[in-house]
Amino acid sequence: MNAVKAALRNPPLLTFVLVALVWLVAGLTLRGFGAYGHLRYLLELSAVIGIVAAGQTLVILMGGIDLSVGAVITVTAILLPLISPDFDPTGGIGIVLTLAIASGIGFINGAGAAYLKVPPIIMTLAMATFLQGMLVIVAGGSAVSVTNATVIWLGQARPFGIPAGVLLWIAVSIVMLLIIHRMPAGARFLALGANPLAARLSGVSVTRNTLLLFTLSGFFAGLAGILILGMNRQGYVGIGDPYLLTSIAAVVLGGTSILGGRGTYAGTIPGAILLVTTTALITVVNASPGWRSIMFGALILGLLLISGREARR
Amino acid sequence: MSVPANLYLAVQRRRNRGLTGLYLVVAAFLIVYAFLFPGLLSVNGFSKFTQNWFPLALVTMAQALMLLNGGISLAIGPMVSLGAVIAAVTMGGPFGVVGGLLAVAAVGLFIGALTGGIVAYLRLPAIIVTLAGSFIITGVALILLPRPGGFIPDWFSDLLAGHTPVAFGLLVLLLIGWKLYIATPLGLGIYAAGDNPVGAFRSGIPVERVKVVAFAISGLLAALAGLFVAAQTGSGDPVIGTPFTLNSIAGTVLGGVAFLGGKGTMRGAICGSLLLSVMINVMFFLGFPPVAQYVAQGLIIVGAVAIPQLTSQWRAKP
Repeated sequence: MNAVKAALRNPPLLTFVLVALVWLVAGLTLRGFGAYGHLRYLLELSAVIGIVAAGQTLVILMGGIDLSVGAVITVTAILLPLISPDFDPTGGIGIVLTLAIASGIGFINGAGAAYLKVPPIIMTLAMATFLQGMLVIVAGGSAVSVTNATVIWLGQARPFGIPAGVLLWIAVSIVMLLIIHRMPAGARFLALGANPLAARLSGVSVTRNTLLLFTLSGFFAGLAGILILGMNRQGYVGIGDPYLLTSIAAVVLGGTSILGGRGTYAGTIPGAILLVTTTALITVVNASPGWRSIMFGALILGLLLISGREARR
Repeated sequence: MSVPANLYLAVQRRRNRGLTGLYLVVAAFLIVYAFLFPGLLSVNGFSKFTQNWFPLALVTMAQALMLLNGGISLAIGPMVSLGAVIAAVTMGGPFGVVGGLLAVAAVGLFIGALTGGIVAYLRLPAIIVTLAGSFIITGVALILLPRPGGFIPDWFSDLLAGHTPVAFGLLVLLLIGWKLYIATPLGLGIYAAGDNPVGAFRSGIPVERVKVVAFAISGLLAALAGLFVAAQTGSGDPVIGTPFTLNSIAGTVLGGVAFLGGKGTMRGAICGSLLLSVMINVMFFLGFPPVAQYVAQGLIIVGAVAIPQLTSQWRAKP
């Protein structure tokens, strides 16, 4: 009984248990769900959401939110084929350039939040609107195909039978957990989220950390954009849109407080898997788009009731 | 008896002070627009212009209510769609236009109150609840009307979106209604509960009930915006409201309503929505491609929030 209580009080663990339960029940009842190929496919999709949600987790921990991740994904997926130089057969230069641009966009978000004091939600929303317009002007609205070798490898290769995207996600997860739980920077982020004033008075630089966090969020969104491009082989306007709300949902399902200061990436990982799994199950049920949308919304609400309640303030 | 009157004027002057810049910008844009499009000054031109502005003004009011209360709604757009769908589905039914109107209003109030109840009594963050709600509401709209269609009587479309400024008159009525509402304890509570929920609670304000009522009114306004959009287009469309979520936030923020609740005015929000509406019209007349509007909108939103911040900082320093 105590173990159950402990699990209920530990949102990341609770979400992990939920994922395990859903996989177990679905694997026993639905033919083909438990097949290795299908589970691997689910993890591949989760990897994309997990990587976007990495940046989102950091920003939300600090008490902000990044509404531009969808637009940044679209930007990277469209720009990368355009700016990858032909003389570079590996495609490394294109990737580095694109990641730099994505991080740059994040940096501008951070600068707006830190120096102009624009609330993050407005700054990133405005950035998303801005990028949406710029993209159509730059790319003309047509889809672009990718020829960059590294990107295609990232999206398609399976070293040791594990998709490269999942390996990338594992690497990102290790880095994220180390940053949040083992480095002074993580403690500063959490302090800022819990009480900005107290953190500032204790010598934590609000400006520097805000810049750093939004740059990281831009970077991770760019990384996810590259992964999506590799899996899709094509970039088009709107490719990143579905990832905005799912990244936020993954963070919240993982038990991270939307108000900041409390949470961990360890919860976001099962959060992303849970989202992808339930979306897949809803597709299996073969309902109309309307019912699918209702089920998805009700699910987020239901999971929120279990894991994401805010304490009375 | 002249003292309270003076006090009232003094308070109003204070509340207008922060908005002077906004008023000037809106006036400038209106003059440019009237210059580009002299038809604006005729009854017909004015009617058409206010009809384009009206739904945006409604959703901005709906969003401003949420922000004043310290929350935010990501379900405004889907609510507009649902309002349009319900209007288009019910107005051809046995109860006609009156039945349709009542159905839209009832659904708006009900969904708003339900969302508000979940946020207030279960203590879940508004942004996530309305995010989940946006999926559910979109789903309901898609089930009721899978593809654009339905029926709106011609005379009803003509009445609301014809050649007379009925929409503007309705907006004035709504503003009077808002004035009356914030004179009631529940209305005043919106500001108090948004600024400092604990303080408001200790002062005897029913914080939860204030929140539920604010959500309900917000849902009603968004659904009515949907009804108007349906009358404008003559049919219902399950995804027609999608852009309204962002635009409602943009209008509210342009109008100087603060994100942390309790600060800002409804007149500011209305002005913000007017600015957004005129801006889009002016850019259209100047021949900008539609996408350039997004670029400009992004820049203007940041500017609108950053400039007052920077000037107040700059003023505070010396």
